[in-house]
Amino acid sequence: MLEISDLKVSYDGTEILAGIDLDLLRGDSLAIIGESGAGKTTLGLALMGLLDGRTSGRIHLDGKDVLSLDGKERRKMRGKDMAMVFQNVEDALDPLMTVSDQIEEAISAHREKGGPEDVRDRVRRLFKSVGLEEEKGESYPHQLSGGEKQRVLIAMALANDPQVLILDEPTASLDAVTKAEITKLLRERIREKICLVITHDISTAAKLTEKMAVLYAGRIIEMGETTGLLENPRHPYTRGLIRSSPNMTTTKDLQGIPGRMVHGVAGCPFSDRCTQKIDRCSKEVPQLSDAGDRMIACHRGGIIPLLEISKVKTCFGDFVAVNGVDLTLYEGETIALVGESGSGKTTLAKTVIGLFDQEEGEIRLEGEVLVKRNREFYKKVQMIYQNPKESISHRMNVLDAVTEPLEVQKVGSPAERIAIVKRVLEEVELSSDDAFLKKYPHQISGGEAQRVAIARSLVLNPKLLIADEPTSALDASVQAKILKLLLNLQEKRGLSILFITHDIAIARKVSDRLAVMLKGKIVEEGPASDVTTSPVHPYTMRLLEVAPDLAPTREARETRGGLWGVSEGRPLRAREL
Amino acid sequence: MQDLEMRHLESPKVGWDYQKATARLTSLVRRGAFFSNYVIAFTIILTLNFVLPRMMPGDPLQAIYGEEALLAMTPQLETELIARLSLDQSMSQQFVAYILALASGDLGHSYYYNQQVLAVILDFLPWTLLLTGTALVISTLLGFVLGIESGYRRGRRLDKTLLAGLMFLNGFPDFFMGIVLLLVFGVVFGMVPLSGALTPYSGLEGFPLVLDILHHLLAPLAALVLVRVTSAYLLTRNTMITTLKENFVLTARAKGCSEGQIKYRHAGRNSLLPVVTATGLMIPHMITGALFVEIVFSYPGVGWLLYNSLLTRDYPLIQGILLMVTLAVLVTNLLVDLLYSKLDPRVSHAR
Ligand code: SF4
Repeated sequence: MLEISDLKVSYDGTEILAGIDLDLLRGDSLAIIGESGAGKTTLGLALMGLLDGRTSGRIHLDGKDVLSLDGKERRKMRGKDMAMVFQNVEDALDPLMTVSDQIEEAISAHREKGGPEDVRDRVRRLFKSVGLEEEKGESYPHQLSGGEKQRVLIAMALANDPQVLILDEPTASLDAVTKAEITKLLRERIREKICLVITHDISTAAKLTEKMAVLYAGRIIEMGETTGLLENPRHPYTRGLIRSSPNMTTTKDLQGIPGRMVHGVAGCPFSDRCTQKIDRCSKEVPQLSDAGDRMIACHRGGIIPLLEISKVKTCFGDFVAVNGVDLTLYEGETIALVGESGSGKTTLAKTVIGLFDQEEGEIRLEGEVLVKRNREFYKKVQMIYQNPKESISHRMNVLDAVTEPLEVQKVGSPAERIAIVKRVLEEVELSSDDAFLKKYPHQISGGEAQRVAIARSLVLNPKLLIADEPTSALDASVQAKILKLLLNLQEKRGLSILFITHDIAIARKVSDRLAVMLKGKIVEEGPASDVTTSPVHPYTMRLLEVAPDLAPTREARETRGGLWGVSEGRPLRAREL
Repeated sequence: MQDLEMRHLESPKVGWDYQKATARLTSLVRRGAFFSNYVIAFTIILTLNFVLPRMMPGDPLQAIYGEEALLAMTPQLETELIARLSLDQSMSQQFVAYILALASGDLGHSYYYNQQVLAVILDFLPWTLLLTGTALVISTLLGFVLGIESGYRRGRRLDKTLLAGLMFLNGFPDFFMGIVLLLVFGVVFGMVPLSGALTPYSGLEGFPLVLDILHHLLAPLAALVLVRVTSAYLLTRNTMITTLKENFVLTARAKGCSEGQIKYRHAGRNSLLPVVTATGLMIPHMITGALFVEIVFSYPGVGWLLYNSLLTRDYPLIQGILLMVTLAVLVTNLLVDLLYSKLDPRVSHAR
């Protein structure tokens, strides 16, 4: 059993690890993920006792206090009780020694008895266990491929059957196919061990481990079961990390995290990049604490639910347009509400914004039940429509249209307002010169008009944007740009978006979660990738059937003779490409 | 696609043999290229040695033998010499004669010693070989070990002391170091003999003779080593510092290797490579160093001989020595190159 508590490491006064607590049992595999510089490798090196920096705290292996050992005893543990495989396969082996000599060395360093024959025998078995031919042993490192070198390194780490195995970016420098092989090998070899996988590669982490800890600026900020954590990240940083890593699972476009990681930030280490921070965040360090199925270090308990709709029912006379809808939208998240016209999606949106009254149920914004929509409310929630003319009067020029909300809310002096307007216009990638400010809606293009509408809705810095078919009146190329813009704004400001559309193909690209609405009810809801790849409700399946598709239909393909080289089965859909 | 199939059709054995043969061929070619460098260098040196005196204005015989030698020369001897060097014939015939003479070990006649140049040189050469050889080996090994220990403890006391001390020694020219040693240990303390390579007419034999030789060798050897050790030390130390940052050193530490293994087997061996190369480059310096030191200690080596032949303007002897020295430099360089490829499998076991 490996117990780590309050492990701190500092170099020249900079704290690289700021108090790590971990308890791991035999058979546990834990991924440590995070950006470079988060302290991942330092953690591995600190466990191995290979750091020059100042280390404090406690590391106990089977009750033995590792940090209190002297240099010699520590050396005896290295490679025997705990072993580490380093990143950069290329120069991790001594170029002047044959690889089997290097493995032999690992064995004999810890052997008091047993002749050279035993050692050689052990090397032979190790080679076999990592899938290398025995003859390769006589090679020098430069004669081996990257994958072979990685196998040698793994064999070396396994040489004395250590209890703890630390893998630092075990697959980073390998090509995709070799990567898959090595991952498979590792999965078999790490059973029955305590294994720490240090990586920025989330997909490798997902394949190798059952648990996952996210490291940010020397602290663990979220930790839990790997699957749960990846499917439903709850710390804003974890979500950002997953959103920014290319994978075959999520469908939303890649998004980054604003800012850069710095060590030594006061309060929450993530506070200078967090879009939902409160005053307390920059004063107090949040402690890693239990949050149901995982541990989170956040003063707000992780990503907050911004909008909670529960059992909302909206009627027009006898007609029930929205019939008992439950939906929760988190901070910085996009939910796409998909359905045909008349399904009640726009009614639901308008109920949220207060254009219609609900018959039953309640709506909460940031935890508060909404009773009436006052000025404060419209500072936080804004809406854009399919037709920008719905939000911008044809009698207002660009400047007036965007300034109006500021005037209503009495924000700033006139000069300040103009400055704000110009900034927002730039943010939505529009010109902010006087000529443009003076233009009237009929003088600008549809795409520009929609950007002006977006600028108008963002000028008050709202937390929630309800976008009702914001791009369906636009050309495809303009539409793509507007969608990108919305995603960028989300990345920068942590904007939550309720995206209403009939087009599931768009929904899949812009949303984290997808809710399918039919006849006033939500019939299916889940991560966008799940809903679009394995739909459950027949109506969702139907929507997917008719969704835009770049592959020819089956009949067309058969007559043309297999354009994609797929001769049988279903046509390839856009979402599978 | 077809290519791929073809390769599959070939029996693996045939493919293997073919591969082996090509591998052998490439390695032969590489060897050839390796040696041809030395052959070319040697040819150039021979040619220069032939051309330069003959290009000088005036009488080639004068250029080859020097004015003073000619003054004391009988006409009879002069004709003999002209015939011997084929100076009355065409350049190409002269060259053939020159090469043939060299091949038979005839480097000319030393006027001063009245002996074959080769014989004179061979008389003095063993002492130089003993002095420079030991100096080279000791200074390299010592510099290497000190460099490893120092680099491994970078910034700590031992490192700082060694670095400062050796840098200080490095500032002295060879002859100055020789003079200081001679004065201090020879004149003031009388611990070492003041000149020579052994006590003349002592009739010593066996072990006492060896001791006597070592006793004479001590001071000049120390002078050379002290001045030369720094460059090997500095180079090793620097290489060691970079090597220690390499990943494979981290791997070795993670395996649980002992400090000694990390220092010498891993970091040290890898740091040795540049030191070996540099040692090759250092040999000419070593030789000039030996020259001065031999003069200071009147040590009867080739350096001292060269000095003397310069004083007596014994031109054939001077030329012979220079030729031998260049040859020695080439040969040691060749040896160093061979050693290097033995040490680095990346050179000897190409992929
Ligand atoms: S809400 Fe506060 S504590 Fe939570 S991540 Fe953001 S800045 Fe940190």
